[in-house]
Amino acid sequence: MNAEPKRTNFRHVELAQKILDIASERGMSPGERLAEQALASLCSVSRTPIRKALQILAERGLVTAEAEGGFALVADPSVTARLDHASEGTTETEIYAAILRDLAAGRISGMQTIAALQRRYSVSRQTVLNALLKLCDENLAERAPGQQWILKQFAISADAVSKSYEFRLVTEPLALTLPEFKRDMPALTSLRQSMLVLKSMNEAAFDRRLFERTDFDFHMLVARSCGNPFMAEALVNHHRRRRNNPVSGHVNVFRLVQSNLEHIQILEQMERGQMELAADLMRVHIQLSQSQRPRLAGRGVPPAFKLVSR
Amino acid sequence: MVPSKTIALFPEASYGAALNCVGIAQELRRLGARPVFICHPGFSGVFAEYGFPEYQLADAASEGPTDWNDFIERHKDAFRQTPLEQLETYVGPTWDAIVDTAIQVEEPLRQLLARLKPDAIVLDNVVMFPAIANAGVPWIRVVSCAETEVPDPLVPPYLSGCGGKPSKEWQVFSTHYEKVVAPAHRRFSSFLNECDVKAPASPGFLDPSPWLNLLLAPEIIRHEREVPLDPETFVFLDGCVRRETPYVPPRFASHNDAPLVLTSFGSLGAMDVSMVKRMIEVFATLPCRFLVNAGHWRDEYQDVPDNVFIDSWFPQPSVVEQASLFIHHGGNNSFCEALYYGVPSLVMPYCWDGHDNARRAEECGVGLRLNRYEWSKGGLSGAIRTLLENADMKARLKANSEKMKAAAGATRAAEEILSIAATLPMRSL
Repeated sequence: MNAEPKRTNFRHVELAQKILDIASERGMSPGERLAEQALASLCSVSRTPIRKALQILAERGLVTAEAEGGFALVADPSVTARLDHASEGTTETEIYAAILRDLAAGRISGMQTIAALQRRYSVSRQTVLNALLKLCDENLAERAPGQQWILKQFAISADAVSKSYEFRLVTEPLALTLPEFKRDMPALTSLRQSMLVLKSMNEAAFDRRLFERTDFDFHMLVARSCGNPFMAEALVNHHRRRRNNPVSGHVNVFRLVQSNLEHIQILEQMERGQMELAADLMRVHIQLSQSQRPRLAGRGVPPAFKLVSR
Repeated sequence: MVPSKTIALFPEASYGAALNCVGIAQELRRLGARPVFICHPGFSGVFAEYGFPEYQLADAASEGPTDWNDFIERHKDAFRQTPLEQLETYVGPTWDAIVDTAIQVEEPLRQLLARLKPDAIVLDNVVMFPAIANAGVPWIRVVSCAETEVPDPLVPPYLSGCGGKPSKEWQVFSTHYEKVVAPAHRRFSSFLNECDVKAPASPGFLDPSPWLNLLLAPEIIRHEREVPLDPETFVFLDGCVRRETPYVPPRFASHNDAPLVLTSFGSLGAMDVSMVKRMIEVFATLPCRFLVNAGHWRDEYQDVPDNVFIDSWFPQPSVVEQASLFIHHGGNNSFCEALYYGVPSLVMPYCWDGHDNARRAEECGVGLRLNRYEWSKGGLSGAIRTLLENADMKARLKANSEKMKAAAGATRAAEEILSIAATLPMRSL
């Protein structure tokens, strides 16, 4: 990790994902042109970052440069998995991912300094700082007094998954029933398309990465639409953290197939404006998503163990 | 439309038996049958994750959850003892607990079977349940423990960890075993008699099924027998491995191209955190990537070396498939998975048939045995290096793996079970 290649830019990757989301919401098909100016307006940025984002999509074979200039879609955006930041290979995203992995694996502690991380990863101070700022963006780190930085271990500990479900069980159904919840119909329709593609797949052919995208987009949509900025912020932050958690647990494909069907049911009720029913279904969905398997078992071991914190 | 056969699978409340039955149930479902699981009290959630219906037995005698820190404290010392010493401290109390459970679940099990009306019952357990014997449908016994569970004068005593030929050591263990389990056996026999079921001769707790008995042991570790098992009712499956979620190993902080070693002692065996920490100190010095199953204790580990990754659960068969070595406790499922994928085993047993499998792994040249508590750092790293570098063993395991995969044990089990279920007239839906 000594080399310091070109900077960036996870923000361009995020923008590239946003372009795909817009294309999907608008029902765009392969071959359709992506107008830079229109995308810049929709994303509230200038054309320069849009062009960089389109270049990222071109590198990944999702769009193609046209002879007369500009770009056109190659892939169907409704069946495209979410873009992977880490695969960008820039130093700061690599360090960002390495810090998270090492924290989750118990290799580094939650209290760090830039100097200590520089030594561990053999990179410049600026690279470590950028990685830490990205972690701060995702609410996974914060500055402490002096030279210290706090990495939020609780967010990726062994208990994080069950604590996350506990939090979501309280908040997500509530978000659906807030008085100013505003349904984003184009986004709902676009998501439904992707979910129906998943529904048509059997267990053997199930596209895990496409599911991860629809799962994230669906729960983010609920968060963003809830009409209460405090609730929206809390949920959006939480889902981002959840997505970036390197310890997400192993989930069987059977459960993912079921989960997709539950998403469709909730989405249908949202489309019909049956928000109380959607909230009830969300409650069921979150509870069913929690692993129920015993943590400890063995021949002659007493049943129904109480899990005592040690 | 011909109704599909309902097959009720009733594994004991341990991950080995449960996941072994999942493999069989996956094949039963593929062949058009309707597998359902009967779960011991407190042991549910495992099968639902694979898409199977679960029916949990009520436990009338339960007074709420048990504090298992207490259980662990009681048994930690027992796990350091020899198999002979464990008879008093662990094996005897375990049989007592098993008999208690059999008695407690009898009535709910009888009622459940009457409601389910299965066409056959698959019992993957170490004890008989009268409700199954009296259900009026064939029952199939799965021996998911080591082959030693089915006795023979030429097979070392069950749980003894003995090897070689019949000896005085075998006799001493057998005599002591019979004495230790006698009270539990008397209690169990009297319970079976009350239920009009013939009790197995001491010290057995489960006779062979008159219909079908399925054993996991692949040929490479099978014992020679004085009295051959009847091929009509005893079928060796050559392993029985479930289909599991694909596993992508995590990126390590170093050694990303090095051989992968999985360490897992089962959910119970993970409790000895200090022992696993000592092992990790050794792992840090070796040019390998180590995955360590810490079960419930994952958060107890800090300062984890760069070439070690700790998690609380792994989709084991998918990991073993990619591993160059599997360090385990000799649980029969783990041992069979290692053999199925041609991976050498370093067996560090602490109880039950783990002792038998550890001995057998060494005897048959498919792995090594290491005392779980009496090893030096050099001894552990030496054993790991030896197993990783043993080309002869690797070649033998590879050839055996091909045979086991061709035998398709889970499919064979499902086919045999369905052929037994077909001997009964179809039930209407």
